[in-house]
Amino acid sequence: MRNGRFVILGNGGAALSAARAARLSGHRGEIHLISDTAEPAFNPMLSPYYFKGRIPWDGCYPFGADVYRDDDIVCRFGEPVVALDARRRQITLGDGQTLVYDRCLIATGAAPVVPPIPGLRGAARAFTLRTAASARKLEEQMRTARKAVVLGVSLVGMKMAEILVKRGVRVILLGRGDQLLPRGAHPSAAAILRRYIEGHGVDVRLGCTLEAMEEAGDEVMCHLSGGVIEPADIVLVGTGVRPNLDFVDREQVKVEQAVVTDECMRTSADDLYAAGDASQALNLITGRHDWLGTWGSGCYQGRAAGQHMAGRNAVYPGTLPQHISPFFDWTYAHIGDVQPRGGDVRHVAFGDPEEGGYALLAVQDGVITGANLINCTHLAGRLRSAILRRSLCDTRLIRDGDSVVPSADDILDGCRLQGVRRSTLRRRCGPPTQESPHVRTRWRT
Amino acid sequence: MTQYAFSLDVTRCSGCSACIVACQDQNDLETIAFRLVTKHEAGAYPEAHFAYLSMACQHCGDAPCIVVCPTRAISRGESDGAVLVDRNLCIGCHSCELACPFGAPQFLDDGKMAKCDLCHVRQDHGLTPACVRICPTRALDCGPVEELSAKKAKAASVRILEALVHSIRPEGA
Repeated sequence: MRNGRFVILGNGGAALSAARAARLSGHRGEIHLISDTAEPAFNPMLSPYYFKGRIPWDGCYPFGADVYRDDDIVCRFGEPVVALDARRRQITLGDGQTLVYDRCLIATGAAPVVPPIPGLRGAARAFTLRTAASARKLEEQMRTARKAVVLGVSLVGMKMAEILVKRGVRVILLGRGDQLLPRGAHPSAAAILRRYIEGHGVDVRLGCTLEAMEEAGDEVMCHLSGGVIEPADIVLVGTGVRPNLDFVDREQVKVEQAVVTDECMRTSADDLYAAGDASQALNLITGRHDWLGTWGSGCYQGRAAGQHMAGRNAVYPGTLPQHISPFFDWTYAHIGDVQPRGGDVRHVAFGDPEEGGYALLAVQDGVITGANLINCTHLAGRLRSAILRRSLCDTRLIRDGDSVVPSADDILDGCRLQGVRRSTLRRRCGPPTQESPHVRTRWRT
Repeated sequence: MTQYAFSLDVTRCSGCSACIVACQDQNDLETIAFRLVTKHEAGAYPEAHFAYLSMACQHCGDAPCIVVCPTRAISRGESDGAVLVDRNLCIGCHSCELACPFGAPQFLDDGKMAKCDLCHVRQDHGLTPACVRICPTRALDCGPVEELSAKKAKAASVRILEALVHSIRPEGA
């Protein structure tokens, strides 16, 4: 479609990647972009780096302000979408205006979920971190904060704990479960990360929830599990995000965790696409459709959607759970599924974070399905690529049943990972609950 | 834009790692290099095979690092198509490290990414990249992709012709 009207809902990485891809694919018709904010596209993953002083505030807007003019985009900023009628191909904005589309992309991203804890919702000292507005508000409050409670041990919670501790704030990090990073980390790797951030002064309390919160003068009193009361002057909520899909009619468009799409990013409705955090994609490890949003995959999905909307034969093949991030002076990565279900599942852990790196690999029926890496993330890209192709398969791992300890050398051989002095690697295999061995090794020669 | 690339003749590479040293020297690196030499072994005596592979950034046609970079610090050079990083924009988030299937991004002491830039400083002065210049077996080469493909095709044709000639007239006949 070269001349139709494209309407893009949202103003993030997926939305702008789609607009650019449509233009590069030869689309000459109108492109309308609808956003509830009146700002250029903001990258939510960058605000922690802004707080750390790694980039100026302007750096959190990676596409800049000129991209709308360069790609000839009609901006309709400041009004949210309130309704989408996929049958009549029409959207309704917050001010009552309607807009008819030829093709539409849902790229509205996700918003933080605030759990229903008494006193938490709407509290002046409780903050989430996602949008530019929330980052600015939080920065204002952080200047004077001395005591903080951070809810949620996901990546956002851990990153915020790091930023606050570095600013001299006393931080209590609360996690409902029994480990950090429950979505991607194996308990052994999570335990190492926990010891590390505790060493930097973060007070990690697992199996502990915020039960209620009440204002008390300049502070808030946080009632934690077990009757513990902690005063704080800032409460950060990092308990997860949910796609922004209030305007989508579930009868017209198939929605599970997010909008279900095919490999061309098409939804169940005609001429309606979805990309980024608003959509869910094929998980190449499990074969299921999962909600696995990252900035990078959002940009890829947006690009595929934009190309397909413009009539090109574009495909987004799917992705896998993945994350990489610096924590204090360490770098941590998780790739794929470290706790696969079914079959013969083993875990191999080796190395030491302080001595060249720690790696934990999950092996299901001889095929590596996931990895946690600490301080050896130079292996991450090659491991990811091998895990995606399911090519990290070594029958030696299961040949003699339990009598054979899977060899890290074998795995690295299979992966052709080099830069590693294999003879000095020590390895150990054990059930998932075992703590990792701390063996002195040197990885880089 | 002409897309430049490296080529490696694996039948010539002896795994001497001179390219790594040249890369470190050119880019003032001490513990890391933008090039990696790997050994591939297969089989067992008397049917053992091995090969060496010297790899740097592949300057991919559709480079994943460019797409995933959250600050758009990674871009494609206009003159030679090299994938380049603007270190002023890099925040050290390691996203590119996870996206690159070749392990090309390296992180220096300041926490920011650095990688092979096809030695654009040398190329601007009419020189070949340091690794290519040093390669004692002439296994490494660098140039426009079309030229490299043509060279490879020519070398392969010569080998096929030689094999044909030998099969028709065995040596010593």
